[in-house]
Amino acid sequence: MLELILLAYFSAIASGLLVGSISLPLILSRSTLFALTMTHSVLGGAILGVYLNVVFNLGVPAPIIAFITALLLSILVAELSEKIFSEDVAIALVVAIATTITVIFSYLVVQVSSTGLAQAWLYVAGSSAVSTMEDLQKILSALVVVAPLMHLITRELKYIAFDMDGAIAMGLNVRVYRYLFFGLSALATAILASSIGILATHILLAVPGALAIKLTRRMPYLVSYLSAIGLSLGGYAIAQLLNIPPSGGIGILSAITIIGMVVKRE
Amino acid sequence: MADVELKGVYYSFDGKPALEDVSFELDSPFFCAVMGPNGAGKTTLLKLMLGLLKPRRGSIRIFGYDVVRDSGAVRRLVGYVPQIINVDHHIPMTVEEVIAMGALARDLPPRFATREVRRKIKEVLELVELDDPSALFSELSGGQKQRVLIARALIGDPKLLLLDEPYSMLDFDMKCEISELLYRLHKERGVDILLVAHELSPCIHLEPIVILLNKRVYAIGRAGEVLTLENLRKAYPGLTEVPAGFILGEDHG
Repeated sequence: MLELILLAYFSAIASGLLVGSISLPLILSRSTLFALTMTHSVLGGAILGVYLNVVFNLGVPAPIIAFITALLLSILVAELSEKIFSEDVAIALVVAIATTITVIFSYLVVQVSSTGLAQAWLYVAGSSAVSTMEDLQKILSALVVVAPLMHLITRELKYIAFDMDGAIAMGLNVRVYRYLFFGLSALATAILASSIGILATHILLAVPGALAIKLTRRMPYLVSYLSAIGLSLGGYAIAQLLNIPPSGGIGILSAITIIGMVVKRE
Repeated sequence: MADVELKGVYYSFDGKPALEDVSFELDSPFFCAVMGPNGAGKTTLLKLMLGLLKPRRGSIRIFGYDVVRDSGAVRRLVGYVPQIINVDHHIPMTVEEVIAMGALARDLPPRFATREVRRKIKEVLELVELDDPSALFSELSGGQKQRVLIARALIGDPKLLLLDEPYSMLDFDMKCEISELLYRLHKERGVDILLVAHELSPCIHLEPIVILLNKRVYAIGRAGEVLTLENLRKAYPGLTEVPAGFILGEDHG
């Protein structure tokens, strides 16, 4: 039992590190709306993955299908906002497409499998049980790829968000950085969704970065990592205490943190 | 061949012409102001000169380089100062970070501010008469922000500085200070200046070359020759007389 609890807390720390590496660049590059696309796309892709595995017995892990779906839909957002619509409209349209995929394949999976909906629900609320060794391995693998690359491109993402025309005029390849950012965000989100659920991922993507920006100018990454780990660990503890899924605990703690920030400011 | 040469440049947005048959030449050293009403294509002209947009027809050469084919070479020679409202003031960047962008964005990653970059930041800060590199960009006044953006362009040692509406959002004294700064950079460091504005009063006493633009070039030359009622009527349809303060931009609020 103690081993399982320790595993859950190690997973929480690893999730916190993964979230901490991605949350700050998301906030700094003013891409929180984009995170909305990402989480909806991952959910749609994960449920599509569950359906394809149930019907065609593909044997492809749902997080991989979720990653590919999120990547494709992110590229669609970029292309639509570059060529036709403003960014918020492009995001709204792609969220609509992702939600349509979620609704249709949730319905279809129930028609063909009695356990399908339960599997799909795991991607929404996260596992109700403590984490497995496989979860921890997946999160650590994603962390090894995502965190160093995110650190490497944070400065460029900031430049692009500050003044895109200026960045291009100085020779930055905006498209390369944007797509690399999409790829890394999609990978991290897909892996997190398969362990803590898309709802908790959605909450966690925004809060640590926002806290870091508010609390410090000198070491925002450190604050982002610490607050993400704190929210994950605290969320797991609350979940254990209240006997709810970890995503519920993370949500409660994040809401308390946000309200606390507002009260302190007032 | 002129140092800046535009030949028959045409550009359109969704089929609507923004610039039609724009041609002019400028030889170094020059201090040039492009004037025209809102929607005249001034910003589009700058974006074409920077290679951010590609002309649908015609060609642009800067210091002998074609801006589309040789965009890398052009970007090494040209510094760009965007319109202040086009930068995101909510991004938490210090003055040092903003200026470092001008040096680091030209290198390959990973991009770290070396001792040499920090020395150059100090140097350009002195040039634009600012002293606190750790100040947050978002907390500066409009004039200080403009100076930081000019410093960011200067750190790359450009031969030509392209400025988009450098007087917008500034009070008149500040506009004059920015004009004086640009003129000093032009005279002391030999940087060619091409700015677009819909008011010329802050720099008119510096006797710039004026290009009167409204989708096409209506006149080019010294202010006294260009800003005649006849020319202004062509660029500003409906104008019957030159109102007092016209060059001040009062007609645009």
